[in-house]
Amino acid sequence: MRLLWKLLRQHVSTAQLAGFFLANLAGMWIVMLGVQFYGDLAPMFSRDDGFFGANYIVVSKRISTISTLSGSSQAFSDDDVDELAAQPFARGVGRFTSSQYKVTASMGIKGCAAFGSELFFEAVPDSFVEVSPQDWQYADGERTVPVILPRTYLALYNFGFAQSRGLPKISDAMASRIDMRILVHATGRTETFTGHVIGFSSRLNTILVPQRFIDWSNAAFEPGKDDSPTRLIVRVYNPADERIPAYMDARGYETEQGAMDAGKAAYFLRIVATMVTGIGLLVCLLSFYILMLSVYLLVQKNTRKLQNLLLIGYSTSRVSLPYQLLTTGVNLTVFVLATLLLQPLRAWYLGTIALVFPHVQGASPLPALTAGLVLLLLATLLNTLAIRRKVEALKRG
Amino acid sequence: MQTISTESLLPHVFRERRDTLQSDVWLRDVTFERGHSYLVEAMSGTGKSSLCAYLIGYRHDFEGRLLFDGEDSTRFPDARWTELRRCAVSYLFQELRLFPELTAFENVEIKNRLTRHKSAAWIESAFERLGIAEKLHTKVGLMSFGQQQRVAFVRALAQPADFILLDEPVSHLDDINSRIMAAILEEERRASGAAVIVTSIGKHLPISYDRTLHL
Repeated sequence: MRLLWKLLRQHVSTAQLAGFFLANLAGMWIVMLGVQFYGDLAPMFSRDDGFFGANYIVVSKRISTISTLSGSSQAFSDDDVDELAAQPFARGVGRFTSSQYKVTASMGIKGCAAFGSELFFEAVPDSFVEVSPQDWQYADGERTVPVILPRTYLALYNFGFAQSRGLPKISDAMASRIDMRILVHATGRTETFTGHVIGFSSRLNTILVPQRFIDWSNAAFEPGKDDSPTRLIVRVYNPADERIPAYMDARGYETEQGAMDAGKAAYFLRIVATMVTGIGLLVCLLSFYILMLSVYLLVQKNTRKLQNLLLIGYSTSRVSLPYQLLTTGVNLTVFVLATLLLQPLRAWYLGTIALVFPHVQGASPLPALTAGLVLLLLATLLNTLAIRRKVEALKRG
Repeated sequence: MQTISTESLLPHVFRERRDTLQSDVWLRDVTFERGHSYLVEAMSGTGKSSLCAYLIGYRHDFEGRLLFDGEDSTRFPDARWTELRRCAVSYLFQELRLFPELTAFENVEIKNRLTRHKSAAWIESAFERLGIAEKLHTKVGLMSFGQQQRVAFVRALAQPADFILLDEPVSHLDDINSRIMAAILEEERRASGAAVIVTSIGKHLPISYDRTLHL
């Protein structure tokens, strides 16, 4: 091999190889970046927050000036609910039940009160909340109530409060360490409960407690008050079903926009990631073309040597091997370097994004590595075959 | 391998001269047998290089049949030709086909390491006998054609062979070196029992020939 390489390395152009190396490095890096960026960011937009999957939509009646002035009800009647439940896109409909009494709550962490406010509770039927039953159970009169808070509260705390007070920031995993003190003010009495925060939801913009607690507390503190639902939660077969917006428009209903905006953002992210990856692939393709031209030129310049080797008994595969190893080595180095170069850039953009979305954790690097590896294997395979074919063509003189 | 035979072999370029062609080889049935020696005498332009190229599978532009141990070579796969060139048919090219950027020793070694047929000591002693010992580590590109011819001869012997094909091996050698080359060749023949096919357009390699063919 040493003698063979000494012979065949003649005319290997360092400049051409360097050109290919840099171009391929750029291409592979861009492709891997596109895939990694998409993987890291996509969960933010199609976020299944663990409590509510992507197949839930929240429906309310549209609030207009006229309806406000005329005092027409924003509540859903039983007929409304039945009709919605009968739609072909709906798998199930649940009512939001609100607390009919006054609630104030204060929250803090590690014994340090962060903020307190008057607020209200809502509940949806337990079958709509995807949480383990033992976390979400409540027995009448119990003093500890499981609570799911809107994720916006977390951002409010982390950026508004913790930042200015030098308090520790809270992640999803630390939810259970939040001290939540709940005061229920009913006619003539005040009762204290402890909230057990089990997590944060970005899909439901409300403070959610178990249905059983709402039913019990409404009956215990404000019996007889109207609790017709103003919002419904609908489990659908396919959130992209076009019959959903048509039906909602016809009935004058509104769906909460959060999921839809996220859908749009996810769509744009996909377009951007596809474009970036496409550009990377194009660069890879061009660099591959440079390498093939370079190798063809090399084989052409060394034609006589290669022919002589074949004529003294060297096989095509043995003669092709040095060039195949050379291209494989270059491709492999490109892959390793692209992988290494991806890390600092990823750390930088994840750091930047974490300022706005603290719960972003970054996806597995596996898809990006796989993309790079597929490119590496594909390029190496094509190189190997092309070199062999080119050398074979020399055989017949 | 025991025999190489031709059956009505004719290069395509001689088709038009088919009726007037006077040759012991073209359009005849000829068999080269292991253990024998043949001199193929040729005038310039009678297809000597073509015959050699056919015998090592470098060119296939002929009609008729070329048989190796009775087997038609037309359908030999590339791997079979590689095997023949490596272990059965050794060839000293008229144009030598050495690698000028390698030393004389490396030129022999690049062939020898395919089969490890000869020892480094044998190669050195062959160089010694042929009077080019001091050129062992000189780049071939810096040597005269006569010296290169001797290097190519040593390289041709650095493989196992049933047929040793030498295309004008002494065209640039003096008589003394021609005799030394002949002696080394005879030793190889005796040791391996290989056939020797030598071509010449004038100056012959001085060995005893069993048969002389006029191309």
